[in-house]
Amino acid sequence: MRIEVDHDACVGAGQCALVAGEVFDQDDEGFVVVLDDTPPTGSHQAARRAASLCPARAIRVRE
Amino acid sequence: MENPTVDKVPTAGCPFHGLEALPADGTLLHPSPALAELRSSARATPLKYTGDHVGWFVTDYELAKRVLEDSRLGIHSERVPASSGESTNAELDDDVVASLLDADAIESLAVSNVLNLNSPQHEKMRRAMTGRFMVKAVRGREPAIREIVQRQLQRLQGHDRPVDITTEYALPISAHVHCLALGVPDGLIDSYVRIYNDEPEAADQTDFVRAVQEQFDLVRTVLEEKRRDLSGDALSDLLRAGLTDRETEGAAWILMSVGRDNVARMISTMTVALLENPEQLAILRDDPTLVPGAVEEIVRYGSPFVGLFVRTAIEDADIDDLHIDAGQSVTVSAVAANRDPKRFEHPDDFDVTRDAFGHLGFGFGAHSCVGQQLARVEIRLAIEALILGIPSLRLVSAAQLEPMPFAHPVGMHDTGSVVVEW
Ligand code: HEM
Repeated sequence: MRIEVDHDACVGAGQCALVAGEVFDQDDEGFVVVLDDTPPTGSHQAARRAASLCPARAIRVRE
Repeated sequence: MENPTVDKVPTAGCPFHGLEALPADGTLLHPSPALAELRSSARATPLKYTGDHVGWFVTDYELAKRVLEDSRLGIHSERVPASSGESTNAELDDDVVASLLDADAIESLAVSNVLNLNSPQHEKMRRAMTGRFMVKAVRGREPAIREIVQRQLQRLQGHDRPVDITTEYALPISAHVHCLALGVPDGLIDSYVRIYNDEPEAADQTDFVRAVQEQFDLVRTVLEEKRRDLSGDALSDLLRAGLTDRETEGAAWILMSVGRDNVARMISTMTVALLENPEQLAILRDDPTLVPGAVEEIVRYGSPFVGLFVRTAIEDADIDDLHIDAGQSVTVSAVAANRDPKRFEHPDDFDVTRDAFGHLGFGFGAHSCVGQQLARVEIRLAIEALILGIPSLRLVSAAQLEPMPFAHPVGMHDTGSVVVEW
């Protein structure tokens, strides 16, 4: 799995950091930071969930 | 999956087949049955707005998201759905505003009211606001929020009974936590609580605009103090963000004004939902680790937004099978979308064990709620303390069990008193 984020689209709502804290964090302004762009299998489910919940659809998960 | 097509915009001369006003016969926990009927017959329905404008009312979950994320639609606050005559807040008249609100305040609102701004000014202002509302910043505030909640719980326990949860628990908690996150100086918290929580009912526009002026006066005092003592909070961040004075003042006003009322609404409404559904309450008392999921569920199930803020098309936009003309307005119903059976199974059941994430209770798209992570923690801690701290809590009466006039003309349900006994 590979995670791509669109930093320009991000609105800093924090859903990704809430539901997949091992994969996503937020910078000082609250905007997305990818902690691990090739997360281990155990985090795939959470990463997909973060992508599906992102209110700006700023997260792309390539399987 | 079935996709009913949307009706075409009625043209002049045709009889009007749509909504003359937002359905106002629902309550927070039991929305108007008209919403489900509309949603099952079409994904969007023509809706009348002020000034005889005919726009759209979106009730379908997927279409709602598509509309909220579409950059061809901007927020248009001057136009609101036609009123059934019951809303407490009328549309604001420019002349009243100009005569009662100082010129700086008017300009501050114009440049920084995020809910009213569109790209790129929107992104600039939003970026200046979001930092202290992120997940880890809010987690760091948990001990201080817990303290506020405990203090308020003790006051509640010492209060004469029966007692109103809205005024004696939900509102004080949300106001104090709001001040904490924003960094309102201790000496000004009482003024904040007085101006915002004891706000007189804005019976007419004059009262409403006077209240806004009073809020701006407070914002200026607060910012003056903050400037001398910047620290780790949202207002200090605004002052560090390199904004103009008007932008800073307007952004501070919006942060001080929005969200607090909605947090209080959700705490009160969640109390009613749990006391009306004792089996759900028992589930949470048995296993308090389920409270975060229950909070998500109340923001889905008890969303006050029959209509979110009104969007207007900047250019012609075709979104799926919905055609929106340039200049035409759209109201997205978070309440209807949150109960769309195509997205949530048994949507009219309040089920604290369901996965309610994905609801539109915090909006969607560029304007989705800045304070949602703070709101989640606040509601969770307030509800946990209440249901575990007062095991024999019971509902005496709640104004919101009967339809109430909308709290805001975009179509926002009010909460009212929630009287309890134990
Ligand atoms: C349970 C509590 C809350 C609920 C249900 C809620 C709901 C919402 C919703 C639905 C929107 C989007 C409106 C639209 O798109 O038409 C919104 C926007 C916003 N919320 Fe909240 N909110 C809550 C708490 C808060 C808190 C605590 C804050 C903290 C300051 C806050 C700040 C904001 C701001 C600044 C916006 C505008 C964002 C923008 O336009 O970019 N909210 N909220």
